[in-house]
Amino acid sequence: MLSSGPGLALAAQAESPAVPGRRIAVQGLMKSFSSGSGQFTAVDNVSFDVRQGEFVALLGPSGCGKSTILNMVAGLLPRSGGDILIDDDHVEPGRVNRKVGYVFQRDTLFPWRTVEQNIGYGLEIAGVAKAERADRVAKAVDRAGLTGFARTFPRMLSGGMRQRVALMRTLILEPEILLMDEPFGALDTHTKLEMHKTLLEIWERERQTVLFVTHDLGEALTLASRIILLSARPGRLKEDFDVSFPRPRDPVGLRETAEFGRLYSHIWHSLGEEFRRTKAD
Amino acid sequence: MAHRRSVILFWQLAILALTLVVWQWGFEWSKMLLPKAYVPKILDPYFVAKPSLIWNSFLRLGCFSDAGGFLACVRNNDNNLWIATLVTLKNTWWGFLFGSASGIAAGLVLGRSDFLARVFGPYVVALNSIPRIALVPLVILIFGLGDLSKIATAWLVVFFVVFFNTFEGTRAVDRDQIAAARLMGASEFAVLRTVVVPSALAWVFASLLPAVSFALVGVIVGEFIGAERGLGKLIIEAEARANASEMMVAIFIMMIVGILLAMLVQALQSYLLRWQPQFEGTG
Repeated sequence: MLSSGPGLALAAQAESPAVPGRRIAVQGLMKSFSSGSGQFTAVDNVSFDVRQGEFVALLGPSGCGKSTILNMVAGLLPRSGGDILIDDDHVEPGRVNRKVGYVFQRDTLFPWRTVEQNIGYGLEIAGVAKAERADRVAKAVDRAGLTGFARTFPRMLSGGMRQRVALMRTLILEPEILLMDEPFGALDTHTKLEMHKTLLEIWERERQTVLFVTHDLGEALTLASRIILLSARPGRLKEDFDVSFPRPRDPVGLRETAEFGRLYSHIWHSLGEEFRRTKAD
Repeated sequence: MAHRRSVILFWQLAILALTLVVWQWGFEWSKMLLPKAYVPKILDPYFVAKPSLIWNSFLRLGCFSDAGGFLACVRNNDNNLWIATLVTLKNTWWGFLFGSASGIAAGLVLGRSDFLARVFGPYVVALNSIPRIALVPLVILIFGLGDLSKIATAWLVVFFVVFFNTFEGTRAVDRDQIAAARLMGASEFAVLRTVVVPSALAWVFASLLPAVSFALVGVIVGEFIGAERGLGKLIIEAEARANASEMMVAIFIMMIVGILLAMLVQALQSYLLRWQPQFEGTG
């Protein structure tokens, strides 16, 4: 699977395109959980498409079900209703799609593996020869700005460095579709901006199809080419914005532009309603 | 407050020296100095021997003071100290190895399978409620007086300790780490090998250290109840002759055996768990 480059997969996809360029299709997605008192709906009839090369941010207040949606797209969670297609294949919970990479919100590095062993994990599982693996891992370590930390255990690293390792661990498998669940949520503002810079550099060069979950509007505007706004619980689709700031983007400079400010306050207003609804619950 | 190493060492040696002096001469001195009713019976060499007697017994049992020479004595004497130590050490080692290997295997299997865990759960609890030592006569009946019954006894004691810890450790594995491994293409077996086992290892090792001592206890008890050779057998023989100093020799050797085995496990632990903060820079 790993040897199949993006071109090959695109060709395969072009054979029976229901919608040209569509990579992810979420259709009438439902999710309800049963808790002690009864059932509650977490995701209510959500539909959207993500096209090839789009960077879509799934934005919403805490508890709106955005991570739940992402987990269903990744096949980590069974859905209660609706359908999800990746390249027109139905997503089946428990079945792994090698085209898809996933970055967790929580630190899921393996603490018993060094930085290079963590980054090389997927290659090791795929049976990539040791020499090639070492070569690719070394490049990834350098790219993540972790030169000199290859033999370090994750516990010795800062939160930002750990998340870089997590990012590289996923990216080294060259996924065409990248699912990210608030990957920088636990980082301080400065480190977060550094991570935005790293991610923008990578994405602007490689243009993976990204679905990025966040509750941070500034983050969504900085990174995404499109923002899907979800309502407070139960999560429903509220609005869909195009974010057409020019690229390459500078995460710090961008925030000082008038365009950014205008879009920010516009979405902020819409998002604010949802935050107030969350509080009122 | 950090005390200097030398100060700590000084006090450690002082306590050792004081203990040895009181043990050696305490009974005679108190007989001379105190009225008869106040002489502490606990110091009576008839019960607890004394260092000089223990040393002599050590030389005799260890074939150092034998008239026929060391090698002839080792060859002729069926349960001399060296053979006894070797037998006990060997049985403890195998009992520990089989016990922990099977405990780890069973813990991993039941920890990864809800179905099996629920089927076997009550049986495990029931078997674990049996005081293991109560089974020793039965084990000897089945396996005879030789090494096999001692290994089986040690296995009985070790298995459950290691099993429960491995089971809990397997249950405690971070679900997101498993999900991450799966998303990177790991099969069920690869998840077991690369995530579950390393993650549960800390729990496993927490049980291996007591398990070593338990294995030694199992073997000794087995030797008490019925054996041809071994340190436990040496104690029983000495008891029949009311020879406290020979018992003490066996007890000291057991202590050394116990320490050596524990050190071996600790060395392995600090190498395999070197990613954990408390083992940083060791191994």
